[in-house]
Order: sequence, then structure tokens, then C-alpha cells
Amino acid sequence: MAKRGCLGCSFPLVIGLLVVFLVLIVGGFVIGPLGQSMLGGLELPGWLTALSVDRPDPRLPAEAVFHIFGFPITNSIIGAWITIIFLVGVSYIITRRMKLVPGRLQAAFEFLIGWLYDLCVSAAGEKNGRRFFPLVTTIFLFVGFNAWLALLPGFGSITAHTAEGEVALIRAANTDINMPLALALTSFIFVEFYGLRTLGIHYLGKFLNFKEFFRAARQIFTGKLKAGASGLVTGAMTVFSGLLEGLSEFIRIVSLTFRLFGNMTAGEILLLVAAFLIPWLFAIPFYGLELLIGFIQAIIFGGLTLIFLTLAVEHHEEEAH
Amino acid sequence: MGGLESLGINMPTLLAQLINVAILFGLLYLVAYKPIMRMLDERSRRVKESMEQTEQIKQQAERAEEEAAKRITDASREGEEVVARAMRTGEEVRKEAQAQARQEAETLITRARAEIQQERNEAVGELRKEFADLTVMAAEKVIDRSLDKKAHRDIIDKVLKEAPTLKKE
Repeated sequence: MAKRGCLGCSFPLVIGLLVVFLVLIVGGFVIGPLGQSMLGGLELPGWLTALSVDRPDPRLPAEAVFHIFGFPITNSIIGAWITIIFLVGVSYIITRRMKLVPGRLQAAFEFLIGWLYDLCVSAAGEKNGRRFFPLVTTIFLFVGFNAWLALLPGFGSITAHTAEGEVALIRAANTDINMPLALALTSFIFVEFYGLRTLGIHYLGKFLNFKEFFRAARQIFTGKLKAGASGLVTGAMTVFSGLLEGLSEFIRIVSLTFRLFGNMTAGEILLLVAAFLIPWLFAIPFYGLELLIGFIQAIIFGGLTLIFLTLAVEHHEEEAH
Repeated sequence: MGGLESLGINMPTLLAQLINVAILFGLLYLVAYKPIMRMLDERSRRVKESMEQTEQIKQQAERAEEEAAKRITDASREGEEVVARAMRTGEEVRKEAQAQARQEAETLITRARAEIQQERNEAVGELRKEFADLTVMAAEKVIDRSLDKKAHRDIIDKVLKEAPTLKKE
């Protein structure tokens, strides 16, 4: 029997779905502020306007939901907890009974972890890749799944009554700047730690590079004035570039923090605004976009951390001799 | 500080999130990275092992094949040797038999010749005697007188000695 219909459904069903889809789109357009301003104050029954979405009121600081011993627990902390519980729970369920011949779930999880591991090894080499892999993977998983879980219903829509008024109970952790900052600080701490541990005191020589300067000064004192003078200039330049490099270590914290924070916050605001302007179905494509952006940010944050780690443990040219 | 406050940076939350990251790191290390790395290592070890085993088995098979080929060559060479030896032996046996046969024939011929010689001698002796008698008789008749028998015999013997054809051998 030849399959009739479209997309696996019979024609009446497809047509019905299309009609529902169109009605939802048009209805959203009509009751939303965008349609209202374009069509010019259409009189709508009250039950329909009640379905419109409130104007979004994004606030950058996360709101405290409750306090434990005077310690504010913000909704973004709760969001971080949920991500942590999700990641650890899933990992635990999957790795509780590991099999040499994996089932589907284990194979998928192993594929993800193995992919990140291969990434680390290909960037930092076999030995260092193995050392960096847990940190890079943790950052990747947290950033990615935090962004994806925030797309689920419940994030931002469940509210709690607090002293500050009605606030969202759960908020994606990376839309509160403390979380990106914490991640960037973690990345920074690990970078400096591995740099110091691998290269020892030489690691600091990358930033405080007086070697050439002093050698030139010695040359001047011993009488080689011409060589000493030119050496003094290049020495001063290496000192300056070393200081710049040291400064860039700290600038990394800022750039990592604000890249993640900006992208996540902008994504959330984009969804809120899309849902506000044309309620109901219009925001769906943006959810797809946010899925992609969450993944990209995870890759960027994890990848940059990996690159910084690799650069930190590399032997510098000047240290070679 | 007011700018940072309005961005939302505050110490307690930052501290809490740092602790959260540390907790996540530790827990994931325990429940995800360690078991999974162990499993991946184990698997790659197994794969390596099985590949080494395959290599070994392949080498073994090659060795066995070589051995079999060598054995076949050896066996065929041995077979050829056996056949050659058998042929040589056959030839020897044949030659021996021939030689023996020839020898026997020669012996037979020799003996026969000796017998013939003997018989001839006997015949000659007899003939001589008869001839002597005949001659004596004839001479008696001719000269008509009987000679002394002994004298006769001497004469005949003398004649016979001079006759070359009836010489005793």
C-alpha cells in the first residue's frame, strides 16, 4: 500500500495542524504589543488580552530567594545547584554500572567525554591533556548544561515571594555575573597553578623578564658600551612585553567573564522580548538559537581554558638555554 | 564599587558559586571522569591486546604454513630419494643376477668342454688300440709272418708318435 499523506500524517491531520499553528501565530501577533501598535488598538475580549505576556523586566543582579544564617541564597545559586544535581545524577546513573560493551546511554556519555578528552589531548599532548581534561570538561559541561537546562519551563517562570517582592525561583546561573566570574577565576587559578607546577620559578620569568636587561647593564659596566646600549633597549622591551603578558593574564578573567555573562544574559533577554512582542509560538526559533549558543559558549570557555593551560605549561623560548 | 554592585557582583554569591564549581568538579571527577577514563583506558588496552593477539596468531599461522611447506618439500625429496635408491638396488640386483648367470654358464661350458675332451681322449685311446690291433693284423697278413708281439707294439707306437693327427693330448 502506498503511503499517502505528508510527513507521516494523513492530509486532514496535517491541514488541521497547520491551521492551529497559523491561528497561534496570528493570535499571538494580534494580542502582542507589536501587533497592537501596528493594527492600532483593536478591541479584544478581556480573556484574550489576559493571555498576553507581561513586559520583561530584566535585572542584572540576581535576587536573593532566602537566607541561610544571613547568607543570601540567590536564584542563580539554585540554578547552579540544579545543574550540578543534574550532571552529577546523570553521571552517577550512567557510571554506576559501567560495562566494557556499553549500552546506548553509556556509549553516548562516553562519546561526549571521550570527545572532550581527545580535544584536550590534541591541544595539550598526551600527558598534559590528561591533567587538564577534568577541568576543561567540568567547565564545558557546566556552561553547556546550565544554558540548556535554563531553556526548560520553570526557569524564570516559577516565582517566589520574598522581602524584595516577587522574584524568579530559579535563574540560569550564568546570567548572574558571579557564576561566570567564579568560572573565570577557577580557570585562572588552575592556569597559574599548572604553570607554576610545571615550570617552577621559571614560570614567573615569563612576566618578570629582567634577564636580558641586566645582562646589557653588566656589559655597559664591563666596557662594551655599544653592545650594552642596544641590549639595554631590547632588554627594556622584553621587560615591558613580559609585564604586558602578566597583565593579559588578568584581562583574560574579565574577557572570559563578560563573554559568557553577556551571551547568556542577552540570550535570556532575547527570549523574553520575543515572547513579549509576539506571544505563544514566535519564540520557538530563538530557543533553537539559544541551544546552539549555549553549546558554542561551552566550547569557547572550555577551549580557551584549555589553550591558556597549554600556553602556561609550554616552555618559553628564553627559558630554553 | 557601585558599578560592580549594579552588575550584580557580590562577595557571598561569588564565594558560593566558587564553592559550587569546586563541588561540581570534585563530584564529576568521582562519578564521571575517573570511571570513564578507567573504562576508556581498559577498552583501549583490550583493543591493543586483541590486536597484538591477532598479530601473533597471524605470525603463528605463517610459521605453520612455512613449516607445512617445508615438510612437504622434505617429504617429496625423501620420496624421490627412496625411489632412486630402489631403482639403484634393482639395477644392482639385475647386474648381480646377470653376472651370476654368466658365471654359471661359463662353468657349465667349461665342464662340458672337459667332458668332451675326456670322451674324445677315451675315444682316441680306444681307436688307437683298435687301430694298432688292426695294423698288426694287417701287417701279419702282409708280411705273413708273426712278429714278436712286443716288437710290433713298439713299432706301432713309434709310428703313432710320428703321426700328428692321433696324438694323445
